[in-house]
Amino acid sequence: MDTYTAGPLLELNKAVPSFEESGLPPRPMSLRLMAGDCVVVEERAPQRATMFADLCSGLVPLDAGQVSFMGLDWADMKDRQLNALRGRIGRIGKRPSWPGFVPMHLAIMLQQLHHTTRTQDDLLAEAARLAASFGLPGLPTQAPDRMSDADLCRAACVRAFLGRPHLLLLEDPLEGGPPELANPFLEALTEARDRGAGIIWLVRNAAVWQRYRMGVTATWRLADDGLAAVRMG
Amino acid sequence: MSSEEIIDPTAQNEVGMRKALFHLALPFGLTILAVGAIAWVGLSSYRTTREGVTRLTQQLVEAVQSYIVQEVGDYILPAAAGNQIASGMIEHAPVQVQDKVFYSYAGTMLRKIPQLQSFYLGGEDGSLRLVTRSSDPDLLDHEVLIVKNGHEYFHHELYNLKGQKVSEHDEDAGTYNLHTRPWFTSTKGSSEIKWTQPYLFADSKQFVMTSSLRFKGADGNELVFATNISLNELSSYLDHIKIGQTGSAMIVDSQGRIMAGRNLDQKARAAHWNPDNMRIDPKDEPVFALGYDHYRVQGFGVHSVTWNGRRYIVMASALPRYSQGWVLLIAVPEKDMASFAQQSSRQSLQFAGIIIVFSALLGGLFIRQVRRTDRGVRALQQQEQQVEQESAAARQVAVSPGLFDPTIEPLVLTEQLALVTDCRRASLWRFLHDGAAMVCEDSYDHQQDTHTGGFEMGRAELNSFFSAIDEGTSFTVINAAADERTSRFERLVMREIGTTMLAVFPVHGPRGIAGMVALENPRVLEHQQYFVDIVSAVAGMRFAAMGGGEKDPSQHGNPLITQASRTLPPLLTDNMLMHTAGMGGLTGANVYNAVAVLIISFSDPEVEGAQETEALISLIDQLATHVQSIALEQQLFAVEVAGHRMICMAGCGKEEDPTALSRLADAALKMRETFMGALAAVDLEPVFTMGMDYGPAFGGLVGQAPQVFNLWGQTVSLAELMAEGASDPGVIQVTERVYATLRDRYLFRSRGTFFTPHLGLGRAYTLAASR
Repeated sequence: MDTYTAGPLLELNKAVPSFEESGLPPRPMSLRLMAGDCVVVEERAPQRATMFADLCSGLVPLDAGQVSFMGLDWADMKDRQLNALRGRIGRIGKRPSWPGFVPMHLAIMLQQLHHTTRTQDDLLAEAARLAASFGLPGLPTQAPDRMSDADLCRAACVRAFLGRPHLLLLEDPLEGGPPELANPFLEALTEARDRGAGIIWLVRNAAVWQRYRMGVTATWRLADDGLAAVRMG
Repeated sequence: MSSEEIIDPTAQNEVGMRKALFHLALPFGLTILAVGAIAWVGLSSYRTTREGVTRLTQQLVEAVQSYIVQEVGDYILPAAAGNQIASGMIEHAPVQVQDKVFYSYAGTMLRKIPQLQSFYLGGEDGSLRLVTRSSDPDLLDHEVLIVKNGHEYFHHELYNLKGQKVSEHDEDAGTYNLHTRPWFTSTKGSSEIKWTQPYLFADSKQFVMTSSLRFKGADGNELVFATNISLNELSSYLDHIKIGQTGSAMIVDSQGRIMAGRNLDQKARAAHWNPDNMRIDPKDEPVFALGYDHYRVQGFGVHSVTWNGRRYIVMASALPRYSQGWVLLIAVPEKDMASFAQQSSRQSLQFAGIIIVFSALLGGLFIRQVRRTDRGVRALQQQEQQVEQESAAARQVAVSPGLFDPTIEPLVLTEQLALVTDCRRASLWRFLHDGAAMVCEDSYDHQQDTHTGGFEMGRAELNSFFSAIDEGTSFTVINAAADERTSRFERLVMREIGTTMLAVFPVHGPRGIAGMVALENPRVLEHQQYFVDIVSAVAGMRFAAMGGGEKDPSQHGNPLITQASRTLPPLLTDNMLMHTAGMGGLTGANVYNAVAVLIISFSDPEVEGAQETEALISLIDQLATHVQSIALEQQLFAVEVAGHRMICMAGCGKEEDPTALSRLADAALKMRETFMGALAAVDLEPVFTMGMDYGPAFGGLVGQAPQVFNLWGQTVSLAELMAEGASDPGVIQVTERVYATLRDRYLFRSRGTFFTPHLGLGRAYTLAASR
């Protein structure tokens, strides 16, 4: 993965999300995320956090403004490029979203298998390495509905970090997840930032990220009047 | 775009589409349009010409038909009209000169008109006069039926061209009866011209018809004037007439009998000289047979028939009324008439084809030129991009702090090298001990994004490789394993990550070659050499700075070494917390088929201050003591301590121990309970996980005084994997083999199926309690 250095990795430029489509406050939101940055966005409602991640992914229609990723405005792109560009994003959702028709290892690798020419062996090796680092004894192979919530949370981390994504939209896996996940999660976060990925970490409260406060670039709160900057202590 | 991405999202698709439209689709479309237009014009021209030719052909055939009809009419006319003229002359002539008029007329006609064969003048009174051609073409035979001595004779008188009698003789008339002759009897009660059926003379090969007309002489005697006309001449005429190139004509009567046509003589012979058998044979005359059939169904007119894949024009037309319902059939191949048009069309098509080929060629050349230009532009863009990348890399190197400081790792050099050359791994090697060895200062794996280094290679092992570097020139080997210079380097270094191509750039220092830059699987581009040279120069300066501080390790009197040997405590090598008494009897390496391994992994503790450290050590000591006692109680083989892990093993005997696994499981449960209690007593969360596996392993005593027992193998690895990947702290995670052996005596909880690249698929279980 080459570090994107031509400008903000992700930029919300007075973006006004459609309230009907997203439930997000229809207020202009502006945010600039550079490569290697880690921005924490506090939002207590999981649905709104998911919608904000969708907004960053270009999935929410805008009433005004623009959202661009790697210099490309989501609204100006055709489906083919749009989907390919989303292949550069890794996401962890608060609500588990696993396709039920494929086993877990394929569900984890599906995005990379779809968007890249990487061999399955190569992907298996990377996924297994990530799985071990997130506390799994290997790459899970059974159906998602037969896995525990903690292991699903670990698998979600594996899926998000697989393929060295440029942008990570992480709805906090630590709160409610296995406590021992904190260290590998923060390690993976740091490693991703070191190689030039930008991170938006969506948390419910400040307690979660306090351990990592030295590494956080900026903190925002998704309020009813849009994104509000939070003073970092 | 990453080289692994299928679609480049940053590509300007619309621009690409427009470019493709202008550069490829437009010329291609125009070429197709030009080709289509030419083809359409050619086809239209061909169709117009063909229609005109068809009309022209019909007109030509009709003209030919009219001409033939006229010819046939002219041919028959002397017989039909001659009868009327002659009969009129004889009718009004006095009886005394009737013979003279007849002979005069007949002689003149026979001499002037070749198709006429003979003339008859018969009377109801039984008289008969005949003028015919003799075997000598210069003589005419005048015959008269006479009665001599009560017997009938034909009196022959032969006259030459001057009308002089040359000879005469009589011929027995035999049973000849004028009143039974068809030409005579057919006129009875009629004043019209009558035609007999054609008949053949086998001896003269003449195909003859007779026309006759009855009239009254001046004396009131009814006379019949008859003319024999040969159809051979008509056939000969039809045989020689030219209709197109290969067309022909035929005359048939209303019964379908052939009256005249080509090869009439052969047909007559085949019909055994019987005219009734001379009909159109589909085998011999297939086109005429088809034309005749069309005529019978559709009547007179032009018909088109196809025979053997060829189209023919067949025309059926009526002959003059005195020809007894004869039908003229003309058959001519269509192409005979339209050949010039076809040739013209073919030429037009050939011209069109040539134009099409040229158009396509020009279109192709245009597209090729456009694509070449595109490639050139792309190459230029790539070059510019490469230059920008190199400039950026050079800036990164330049702003790197402590670039020439040998105490700071040169990570930026290998990283930027890997980035610019897109190689799998870039490494910096420095010569040691005057070139006797080489040490890797830094090796950067581009794919794994990891740095390694510190390993050495000796000249003794890689002499040819070292010699190649010593030459001081860079070289690139496509297949390092196959090249004598690099084969050992490939085996020692490259095979680990599966690279095949190696580019070596010697690093020049103030005292000659100081090391090398090695690039594995690089993208070879000429202008990259400059950046590699910059990095090599920087590396050379770093190596030179390092060389100043390097001392020969073998030198005596090194204060650090002597101090260390004097002050450091004796090395502690025994890490066994417990071992069985029988361990001392072990010798060499042993393979154990059924070893139970338990690995306890502790989280790294966070301690602040000496007090906390002492408390922690005390806790660890307490835990270790518990482990020792439990191990002794469960008669485990050994307990090894390694960092934050404890490795408990059972069943390492010469004989398989069936209780080893259950004893270890009991020990694990007890240890977990003990650890929980001890940690809870100091208000700590469980900070450990446990993993167990059961299976073959190998081990033995290693080292000298003291010797240490160590165990290796997949069983140990799996147990460690189970410990590291346990679902929660304080959990004992076991493999499928442990579960299969102990499931009757212990309670397990399945965690699921997992895959690891080197171990394959396996299930993981949590050991909960004994039953």
